[in-house]
Amino acid sequence: MEEPLHDLKAQLAALRDEFQRGLTAGQEAESLRDQFLGRKSGRLTALMKRLGGLAPELRQAAGQQLNALKSELEGSLERLRAKLHDKREAAQLEAERIDITLPGRCPPLGRRHPLTVVREELEDIFVAMGYEVYDGPEVEDDYHCFEALNMPPDHPARDMQDTFYLDGGKLLLRTHTSSAQIHYMLENAHPPDVRIICPGKVYRRDSDITHSPMFNQIEGLVVGPGITLGHLKGTIEAFLKALFGQQYPVRFRPSYFPYTEPSVEADLGCIVCGGSGTLASGDPCRLCKTTGWIEILGSGLVDPAVFEAVNGRLGRTVYDPAKVSGFAFGLGIERVAMVRHGIGDIRAFFENDVRFLEQFPG
Amino acid sequence: MKFPLSWLKEYVDVTVEPEKLGDDLTAVGLAIEGIERDGKDVVLDFDITTNRVDCMNVYGLAREAALIYRLPLRPLAVDVVESGAPAAQALAVEIEAPDLCPRFCARVLDVRVGESPQWLKDRLEQVGVRPISNIVDLTNYVTMELGQPTHAFDLNRIPDGRLIVRWAQVGELLVTLDGQVRTLTSKIGVVAGGRGALGLAGIMGGRSSEVHAETQVVALEAAYWEPLTIRRAAKTLGMHTDASHRFERGADYGAAPLAPNRIAHLLGKIGGGSARPGLIDVVGRPQPRRRLVLRPERVDQLLGTRVPAGECERILKGLGFDVASVDSEELAVVVPAWRGDVTREIDLVEEVGRHRGLDSIPNSLPPATAPGTLAPHQRLERVLRRTLADLGFDEAVNYAFVPPTDWAAVLADETPVPLQNPLSAEQAVLRTSLIPGLVRNLQTNQRHGRPDVALFEIGRAFRATGGAGSKPAEPARLALLVSGAWQRRGFADQRPAEFADLQGVLEALAQRLGLETLELSAGPEPKRLPWDAWLGAYLHPQRWAHVMLGDGPIGVLAELHPRQIDALDLKGRVLVAEIDLDLLNSRVSRRPTVRTQALSRFPSVERDLAVLWPADQPSAALVTAASRAAGALLRDARVVDRYQSDALAGRVSLTLRLRFASPERTLTAEEVDAAVAAVVAGLPALGAEIRGV
Repeated sequence: MEEPLHDLKAQLAALRDEFQRGLTAGQEAESLRDQFLGRKSGRLTALMKRLGGLAPELRQAAGQQLNALKSELEGSLERLRAKLHDKREAAQLEAERIDITLPGRCPPLGRRHPLTVVREELEDIFVAMGYEVYDGPEVEDDYHCFEALNMPPDHPARDMQDTFYLDGGKLLLRTHTSSAQIHYMLENAHPPDVRIICPGKVYRRDSDITHSPMFNQIEGLVVGPGITLGHLKGTIEAFLKALFGQQYPVRFRPSYFPYTEPSVEADLGCIVCGGSGTLASGDPCRLCKTTGWIEILGSGLVDPAVFEAVNGRLGRTVYDPAKVSGFAFGLGIERVAMVRHGIGDIRAFFENDVRFLEQFPG
Repeated sequence: MKFPLSWLKEYVDVTVEPEKLGDDLTAVGLAIEGIERDGKDVVLDFDITTNRVDCMNVYGLAREAALIYRLPLRPLAVDVVESGAPAAQALAVEIEAPDLCPRFCARVLDVRVGESPQWLKDRLEQVGVRPISNIVDLTNYVTMELGQPTHAFDLNRIPDGRLIVRWAQVGELLVTLDGQVRTLTSKIGVVAGGRGALGLAGIMGGRSSEVHAETQVVALEAAYWEPLTIRRAAKTLGMHTDASHRFERGADYGAAPLAPNRIAHLLGKIGGGSARPGLIDVVGRPQPRRRLVLRPERVDQLLGTRVPAGECERILKGLGFDVASVDSEELAVVVPAWRGDVTREIDLVEEVGRHRGLDSIPNSLPPATAPGTLAPHQRLERVLRRTLADLGFDEAVNYAFVPPTDWAAVLADETPVPLQNPLSAEQAVLRTSLIPGLVRNLQTNQRHGRPDVALFEIGRAFRATGGAGSKPAEPARLALLVSGAWQRRGFADQRPAEFADLQGVLEALAQRLGLETLELSAGPEPKRLPWDAWLGAYLHPQRWAHVMLGDGPIGVLAELHPRQIDALDLKGRVLVAEIDLDLLNSRVSRRPTVRTQALSRFPSVERDLAVLWPADQPSAALVTAASRAAGALLRDARVVDRYQSDALAGRVSLTLRLRFASPERTLTAEEVDAAVAAVVAGLPALGAEIRGV
């Protein structure tokens, strides 16, 4: 009872029209597929099943027409499905809209202390220049802190108001990291080459907004044959520029420290007023007190008396002032941090108020 | 120190602007701190370093300026018109103590005490000295001009007109010019009359012989004192005067005769009186000028620039040094009396360097001799600091001193190391632990409305090692504190930190350092640990542990005792930990280099067991037993959850997670089931069972 496959063209055209009507009417892709292409009841499928009954000479042409329509319908269905998928996906994405103005969920981040940041920066600069980082004890005796540094008894720097002594009066808290120089030279009695920096805490009996009874210094010591004041100047200029920036000039002027001769103080062009002494507002610059320069560190060639004191303790001449020379420098880490960050009161470093600490990136 | 430019110009014809003069003087080591304009005049404010007492006066500064600008330095006018009987008839001077006074000069002046002329008063006010009377003002004027302090006695109040320079007698009394009664010792020098001390040598005159309105004859003293004797005496007496400041730094042996002549000259000039003939000059111990040799080659070697011998000579001569002979190898130099600070060749090198100009020395870097390095403990501290900051901790830095009543002071029954001269009772001893400092920081932050705190500190503690006089140990420590919300600080679903949070931080540190997991132990340790004295008193008796690394303890982890929380007026729970970094570092430096293992191609299998476990038993016992029972396929066993409820009647529910794997094959369900069954079978013996199915 099957319809003959004659007039195939018209039948296929009718099928195509019907399919189009279903599509336009919004019929779903799955139902359209079942109706026309379903394996059991699909109408196009039914036509295709009858191909076998055709005479071989007709079969090829009919098959081509049927297959052409089949891929056409399948293509339409594929596009319909894709469209639906896109629509659903767009709806879902729309529903997933977030408020990007809400704050991010930041993992807890703490910060290194601003003094640590400055200290490590300085250490890195000097390590890159071939220095060893060395630290000595905080509790010292008179020899290491004063005597070996050319400060004999009765020297003004040894006054009771400056130095914290431990009970008994023989031991003290080091007043400068310079004492670490002496430890190093005694422990490394094989000159001629010393390149060290010694960061650490030091203690002085003094407390106001610019003086803390405990603060941090970094000491440098270079010893070797032929070390000159030119090496000292070059080193200090190089590290100050690395620390503060190339744009600030460095000035050297003669000064006085008991353990260096000649002694030299280094000043940095004021980083607030740019060296003019006056702010843009016309007010006088308070950081440099209108001088245009900030005192930043003390230094000098190692006084021969220091080498002699070390030799004396060693019992032999290891650091012979006739054969080796050296330079030393020391700067306050708080001073650098205060200048750089505009901190007015040194005590802020030791209060550990998180409102202060969290202002630094750490 | 302030000096008016007009005064300086009396001796050297400086023509540059004051600012330029200030820069140029600063460049030779005489730092200008400020320039004030005072009407027509300019006042320069100097910060003179303590070694340059020779420049704490106008003439010394003029000498430096003359050298800078290659200008002549005018000599001081010291011509004196003398009249009357010879001075020596009215005044006799004896030096009994030449170790105190190498030289004592004096003049006798007939005076009319009155007000000083305006120019003199103005000058003194410019340098910050209060005018008193013409005689006193002249002595102060010459101190500022020459740097030589002098003292005027009323000659009629010197018994027998005799001045004796000697050491004081023990218990001798003297009323000084400031009205204070001074009790003297044998280490204090005095200028005395026949009946007792009249003044303190080099520090301050005495009341009894003070010049007053009716004074007619003055004995004027200008001495050179041994610097150390003045410093010791001033220190003993607790006094510090302009005179002692100068004398203890070493005044000018040659200025002792110069100053009285200058004063006599000026006295005549202002019409305040006249001088009796003769300068009294008594030498107790001659001070020959020092002779040194300067090798120009040494100058070049140390400065790092070439300075010709002739240039060295020019500079030294300009500063008043005599240069006796010059050849290209050596300069024979005689040091002027006012330069007590120049004692060695190196000091001459500094003089040459100063005036040659530091700017003339080319900058260079010393050759590197070895790679730069951080020591292992410094690298460890860096890793700890960065890791802890990344884990949410802020770094604190606290003072090393604590109050003697502080709990840090009672750590481990140790007597803390006391300071002899603390700034305050609150800072009287050295800390034995870093924890109390962090707890104080928590108090501060809670007071400021910031209760959520996570802090760490790396620093040294101080532990007495023996009696007074033996050096305390300085163990390096890491301390941590967490209180309040921390992990989800700032979010609505935050919760207060608890013991396991800080424990986890320590575990994270161990991982970061490549160490086997840290373990906790609340068992007894053979050696008492520094923190053990706190247990039960400051630390929660049920929430503390020794932090174990390898076989031994390296620190403590604990919750603060609720009693301590109350005592310190804190809110919330507080977790603290402290680790000995020297011990940690020794472990880290022995850590072997990582050798990687081949990765297994076969998947692992995880099984979770809900176990009812006796609440009073440590869960670690379950892990140990399970690890033993599960057999060779077990890779890892750990407790991943703990649930507590009254309904469980003395037990807790633990989730035990077991992970199985084989390097050779994919495991079958049967062999995993068998291993799990073996674990379950062992539970009853531990008082545990699988939670109701």
